[in-house]
Amino acid sequence: MSDIKSKLLLDLADSVVNMDEEQTVELAKNYIAHNLDPYEGINQGLALGMDRAGTLYEEEEYFIPELLMCSDAMYAGLDVLRPHLKQDNLEDNHKIVIGVVQGDTHDIGKNLVKIMLETTGFEVIDLGRDVPPLDFVNTAKEIKADIIALSTLMTTTMEGMQEVIRLLEGENLQNQIKVMIGGGPISKGFADKIGAYYAGDASKAAVLAQSLVKEV
Amino acid sequence: MEEKERLLKVLKRGQVDRPPVICPGGMMSACVTEISEQIGGCQHSSAKAMVTAARKINELAGFENYGVPFCLTAEAEALGAGINLGDNLIEPRVTHYNDEPLEAIMQNYSIVDVTAGRMGVVLAAIHELRNDRIPVIGNVSGHMSAATSVVDPLLIFKMLRREPERAARFLEFINEYLIRYALEMVKAGADVISISDPSATGEILGPRNFQKFAVPYYQKIIKALHQESIPVILHICGNARSIIDPLNEVEADAVSFDSIVNIKAARKVIKTGLMGNVSTQLLHSGEKAKIISITCNALHSGVDIAAPACGLSMATPLSNLRAMTNYVKEGSYS
Repeated sequence: MSDIKSKLLLDLADSVVNMDEEQTVELAKNYIAHNLDPYEGINQGLALGMDRAGTLYEEEEYFIPELLMCSDAMYAGLDVLRPHLKQDNLEDNHKIVIGVVQGDTHDIGKNLVKIMLETTGFEVIDLGRDVPPLDFVNTAKEIKADIIALSTLMTTTMEGMQEVIRLLEGENLQNQIKVMIGGGPISKGFADKIGAYYAGDASKAAVLAQSLVKEV
Repeated sequence: MEEKERLLKVLKRGQVDRPPVICPGGMMSACVTEISEQIGGCQHSSAKAMVTAARKINELAGFENYGVPFCLTAEAEALGAGINLGDNLIEPRVTHYNDEPLEAIMQNYSIVDVTAGRMGVVLAAIHELRNDRIPVIGNVSGHMSAATSVVDPLLIFKMLRREPERAARFLEFINEYLIRYALEMVKAGADVISISDPSATGEILGPRNFQKFAVPYYQKIIKALHQESIPVILHICGNARSIIDPLNEVEADAVSFDSIVNIKAARKVIKTGLMGNVSTQLLHSGEKAKIISITCNALHSGVDIAAPACGLSMATPLSNLRAMTNYVKEGSYS
């Protein structure tokens, strides 16, 4: 790898970690001006930065405000690099339908998971907040999704997660469309009980999603 | 000992015959589906239905208080957020945010009447419920949760970093508004005010932001209520491990924690009363024997007030809640 390329990749990652939106845009433009591969710029620059931000979150160095600022910087860089991607980088992306289950309108966790999934190359269809169980299943069928990702912050809405799985089982789709869940009150025990996969946080969700699509 | 005397005494750190068992209301509402069906709905918008629901929770679930309202959305609605009031299965929630700039919100809603609309309904219900025997708890949203219900939470959380002074001005505006509302609750007859701030968790804000953007605001509202001699319970969701120390500074009369918080460890640090923390997941779908053993464990670990750990699912069976409340009332705890 050329020195300039590895330096720019490192700088891109750093500027994401440092929450510097403007610098990320400048670096991304500079990266393209050097005729470097935009796909690597995303995966080994921006995504790496987001990954490091996720580690800082796990280490309780960063919290939600910091992670959101990092993701703004990441997306700003993505906006610069994405138009330069060649078409074959965009094909056969695995699809994930994501949303917050009905009754809950807290979507910070869901948004973080979405960011991590997007940075690891998934095509993510976001149904937003307060989503009825049937909508998840219908959308997943329609777009032929590999995974449904459900999030809730409230203990009061966990029932809806089970309902999504019941609906999938009703149509015998539970092996084609895997369900992963997470959020404040969710435990691995609960996930096991309802037949879902458990993700402890946003970066773990991205790793889990990758292993789930490999299984298929 | 009557329920009201017992709760008020515990909140003053006095001696009582046994711990009270309560469900304060607000986001910790025991207005479950079984109750909602019995009263035919409308418990979020009609004072009469709200009063009936609060009394039924006391009678049928056995919680030793009246607690209203059964959500934290009235405060946000009056500042321009869109609310879906829910039904017998799903609680009220914010469906869209006020997307005006913060400065416009502060200007347009500078003189909101906190005795009108659904806040007025809550005040009328408190007025009707007040009595000598059973404590009436008025529930108000914490400033961070109210702010992130009125406007998009992503906007607010980013602003804490990007424009901290602007964020602080808005939080200050929200807090002053909540103080006015809480004081009206006191005027209407609330014996205790319970503040829940589910968006101000240690996991979301982290200790530094909590110290800067949460602690001083709690101090202010609690001080205002203490001037009226009204005790305050503060509930914080999630894993509060990183913010337990600063919680002593807010001088609430009791703090309430989620089930993930180790009460024995919290007890060593928290100087005020402790409330909690029976898992709401367990109350929803656990065996009665397990509910009793976890309640027993919370009491032995040092809670002064037994209560559900967080928001209850509306599908929680009343019989499970009774298993918990009956156990506490029996008073042997072995």
